[in-house]
Amino acid sequence: MIERRKLAKWLVVLVALHGLIACAGFFAPYDPVEQDRQLPYARPMKLHLIDTQGRVHMRPFFYPLRMREGSFDQYDEDIARAMSLKLFAEGPRYRLLGLLPCRLHLFGAAGARICLLGTDGYGRDQLSRILYGGQVSLLAGLLGAGITLSLGLGIGAAAGYFGGWRDEVLMRLTEPFLALPWLYMLLGLRAFLPLAVSPLEAFFLIVMVIGAVGWARPARLVRGVVLSAKERDFVRAARGFGAPHRYLLWRHVLPETSSVLLTQAAILIPQYVLAEMTLSFLGLGVPEPLASWGNLLANLQQYSVLTSYWWMYLPALAIVPFFLGYLGLASALQEWADPFKVGRGT
Amino acid sequence: MQPLIQVEYLVKRYSSRGVLGSGEVVSALNEVSFSVAPGKTLALVGASGSGKSTLALCLACLERSTSGRIWFEGRDIAALDEKQLRAVRPQIQLVFQDPASSLNPRFTALEIVTEPLLVQRKWGTREMHERALALLERIGLSRGMASRRTGEFSGGQRQRLAIARALSLAPKLLILDEALSSLDCSVQAQIANLLLELQSSFVLTYLFITHDLAMAAHLGDEIAVMNRGRIVEQGVPEKVLGAPSHEATRGLVAATPGSIVTPRMPGGL
Repeated sequence: MIERRKLAKWLVVLVALHGLIACAGFFAPYDPVEQDRQLPYARPMKLHLIDTQGRVHMRPFFYPLRMREGSFDQYDEDIARAMSLKLFAEGPRYRLLGLLPCRLHLFGAAGARICLLGTDGYGRDQLSRILYGGQVSLLAGLLGAGITLSLGLGIGAAAGYFGGWRDEVLMRLTEPFLALPWLYMLLGLRAFLPLAVSPLEAFFLIVMVIGAVGWARPARLVRGVVLSAKERDFVRAARGFGAPHRYLLWRHVLPETSSVLLTQAAILIPQYVLAEMTLSFLGLGVPEPLASWGNLLANLQQYSVLTSYWWMYLPALAIVPFFLGYLGLASALQEWADPFKVGRGT
Repeated sequence: MQPLIQVEYLVKRYSSRGVLGSGEVVSALNEVSFSVAPGKTLALVGASGSGKSTLALCLACLERSTSGRIWFEGRDIAALDEKQLRAVRPQIQLVFQDPASSLNPRFTALEIVTEPLLVQRKWGTREMHERALALLERIGLSRGMASRRTGEFSGGQRQRLAIARALSLAPKLLILDEALSSLDCSVQAQIANLLLELQSSFVLTYLFITHDLAMAAHLGDEIAVMNRGRIVEQGVPEKVLGAPSHEATRGLVAATPGSIVTPRMPGGL
């Protein structure tokens, strides 16, 4: 029961976090590619409740930023114009979950841009870019993990179930993949493939590259589970009344691998999000103007950005709750699947 | 009478392949020969590692024998390929020692008993369920228990379930590989009586593998003693256990406290 409750807790956390990113259109006030050349590298705007005359406002408000004379990234608050923040405001069009045409945003302001996490060099809203960028990075992680686990399940199950020379060949094949560090494999594999492609193609390309790199470990784990599962008496009994291989695999052997696959998924997804970020950071992943957590951080490769604009680091913080969530899920899954092996104190 | 199953010079060797291809060869079965008449019980006894379970797996066609013949109703089933075996398999069923591992814990009792019928695809869904429920009642489980998962049953009930599953395809030969060994005494007696009852009503032939000499004497029309992959002695229980001629049998008898031979009454229990 404790295991189940813990599992439920982490699942709720992760569903909430993914919901936030999936509905980026609603939570983000602006379109992620919408530029504002009057507002490059604007610092995060502050929300106020008390104005300069000491009056208390009922709604939070902000002063729009105005660029200082003779500078290109220094701003002053325009204290003559207090703009109030509107909740559930109409704003730019977007499609909720990619389907539903919608204009409603969680918040917004009429007459001036409100950029709570600042803007980048083109005046694009950093908050919107982080939220939309999460869609790309998380989707890459999820799809990549899906590909890896399918490959791992297929190859591991074939090797473990049929055994003999098939097992031998497939397991020798896993060894180079296990021995080489995945970052180099990732870069090497990506270097083979064309550089100049459309953003969508680039996305699927890196998903496939990431997915193809990590199959060896899940394949090994699945093989081990299948090896022991196929020798169970209930599998023998089913063979004894004439069940074909397809039935044995589907009904008896593969269900045994479910807890290994789930735990692997919880470990692989954040790892693959990080892989996408690495590739995009190096310019091998998802290209501009599309946002991803990796290419948002790529701005930091410029020294001036690195030293002057601290809010450009924020995309790196965005991954922290996700990683903690998946870490918690992985350990909860392990305890849930196997309550006896985890020391719980006596 | 024509025997239901006749085994001739059955050999099973396992080779553990080394890195260079040369490995040790272990003979699990060494020219084993015996036969069982229809409706009779052969009790197979022997110490651990004497090859009893290997023999069970070979007879149930779950392991391929290295050489030798297994005549079953006039066909050598050791020579059949997997496709031809599909028709023979329902005739020979195996009941394993530990029902906790021979029943998939994800399955319900009904799923367990319908599984063989489902695999053999001979009946429609409704008829399948009717047959399964009738069988569950026959072996002493109520219809209300049909939707429970196997983990919720006691050891004895699970073994009843395993027997029901083995009987669902109406086999002629039932191989009971230490089927009573994991149960406690009173449950053993109940299941043994159930087996005798089922034997007389379905005309079943049993190969009853055990290391419990008293149970072997109780259930077996004949007893065969295995030692190191060979059958070293075979005959009626009174003779084999009363006046053992082979050293291995004497060892088994000496290791069992109390009197063993309590001959089975003619006409069942």
